[in-house]
Amino acid sequence: MERWQLIAALILVYLAVTLGIGLMAGRRASRSVTGYVAGDRRFGLLVMYFVTGATVFSAFAFLGGPGWAYSRGAAAFYILSYGALGIAPWYFIGPHAAALGRRFGYVTQAQLLVGRFPSRFLSALMAALSVAAFVPYVTLQMQGAGIVIEAVTDGHVPLAVGAAIAYGIVALYVLTSGVAAVGWTNTFQGIFMVAIAWSLGIYLPFRLYGGVGEMFERILAERPEMLSVPGLTAAGDPWSWGGYSSAILVSAIGLMMWPHLFMKAFTARDDRTLRRTVVLFPTFQLFLIPVFLIGFAGVLLPESPPNADFILPFLILRSELPVLVVGLFCAGALSASMSTGDALLHAAASVTVEDGIGPFRRLSDAGQRRLMQVLVLVVGVVAYWFALDEDSSLVVLLLTAYGIICQFAPPICAALFWRRATTPGIVAGLVAGSATAVFFFTTGYLGMELRPLDLHEGILGLMVHIPVLVGVSLATRPQDRDHTEAFLNPRGSSGTHD
Amino acid sequence: MNRVKLVRAATTIYFVLFLVFVTWPGFVPFNRPLPLVLGLPFNMAAIGLWVGLGAVVLFVLDRSEERNRAGRPAEDARGRPGRDSRAGGAG
Repeated sequence: MERWQLIAALILVYLAVTLGIGLMAGRRASRSVTGYVAGDRRFGLLVMYFVTGATVFSAFAFLGGPGWAYSRGAAAFYILSYGALGIAPWYFIGPHAAALGRRFGYVTQAQLLVGRFPSRFLSALMAALSVAAFVPYVTLQMQGAGIVIEAVTDGHVPLAVGAAIAYGIVALYVLTSGVAAVGWTNTFQGIFMVAIAWSLGIYLPFRLYGGVGEMFERILAERPEMLSVPGLTAAGDPWSWGGYSSAILVSAIGLMMWPHLFMKAFTARDDRTLRRTVVLFPTFQLFLIPVFLIGFAGVLLPESPPNADFILPFLILRSELPVLVVGLFCAGALSASMSTGDALLHAAASVTVEDGIGPFRRLSDAGQRRLMQVLVLVVGVVAYWFALDEDSSLVVLLLTAYGIICQFAPPICAALFWRRATTPGIVAGLVAGSATAVFFFTTGYLGMELRPLDLHEGILGLMVHIPVLVGVSLATRPQDRDHTEAFLNPRGSSGTHD
Repeated sequence: MNRVKLVRAATTIYFVLFLVFVTWPGFVPFNRPLPLVLGLPFNMAAIGLWVGLGAVVLFVLDRSEERNRAGRPAEDARGRPGRDSRAGGAG
């Protein structure tokens, strides 16, 4: 048996275990929509922790993280900076949103927003923006899975086949088990990813340079520009402080606004679990350190991979590791891809049905569930179609997706904390902010650099969004006091915000 | 009660400082590779420290909030079940 066949066999074993866990988890969940979307609201701490961690750490962290450290040096540190910043406000926002979810039966972010600001247009707009942001994200995950499989099997299993197998399995367990499968598979995959990242992150610098400190001393001697923030751009020129700082800000704001993460607030068993997940989250974040070490280990190699994102598989293959280790690494990278991809597919389908179609057509519980299952397949196929186009500039699209997603932050905060916000204010702000972000993205894409100080288009969008939201709200009739009270203080007089 | 508010304020201040010191211009004084800390460049270790301490700060906040909740069970019990029945008005 050849080396690549052994590796392929290991990957198959791993995928079979994932599938088994996913299918078994579903047998315990109820058949209702709440069961499918919100896991009957009873995820415990261990599952919540890994669901959140594994969902956030996608193929971008596992392949893109080392890729950034390898090609852009200290620019990658922005990825380490934003996670803890983004999650901290969730300590109060999460239980607040969860209380509203339990009280009014919300399962998506847009339902919460439309509950406070009744508008079918707002609901449809949220659904459209979410799905538009999801597709490039799912595509990126699929390409990640395909890249890893293609690289470690010496091209015997091409990207298209690898991505199809991995995501065929994801579709199978998401279709049958819904969010319960996502929870239990992510727990398994999360543990796997952390173990693989730490062991490789320590092993590679020792193997190639004799130690972590020795590696950085050599990089400092030969490529000092790699170790100074803000690092380099993709083209190898120095990156700007404006670009670096606003990337941290936009990612921190966007992080918790991703619908697939926000919806986790509605799956938590109780507030205690949600709060503890927030407390433990930064420990998961530190897992980026070994991920960066892997990328830095490649900096001084004479040869280079075809694309910076291939640096991890490239190093693995060059260092002639035992077959078992290569197989395990591969499974770790697939975990990263699949654990984000499944949550995305699931959320995209839920959001389309609940927010895009629900307000306009009444569907039975069974009908909704079936429609979501169809949509999981549709979104999967669309993303797969894009994934086959290998030179599509997806990372660019993903950054724009962040720019759009972070526009959800002002309306959500207003819904939960600002009594004076009105429906016209929210709609006008969201339209203006998203349009601004898209405008700066499009002009930049066409070669006209109009962004002041190299700021991220998402931040520029917020600069327009917030004044419009506040201005239009103050100019329109305030909402009924009893109505706003229910959202500002969902648990009656003993709320946490006093 | 005051203690709870103090911890909340301290947590908020910590995360605001975190943001200030990992972006421009707060990060500039820490932006150098040497000395290596546990083998890592100084600037990377500094960010790692902010993240790690962030977990500690959140843990302290959580303990304080839990003690606060446990400390006023009467109030909680009144707030929750029957008495306060403004609930139910669907949005």
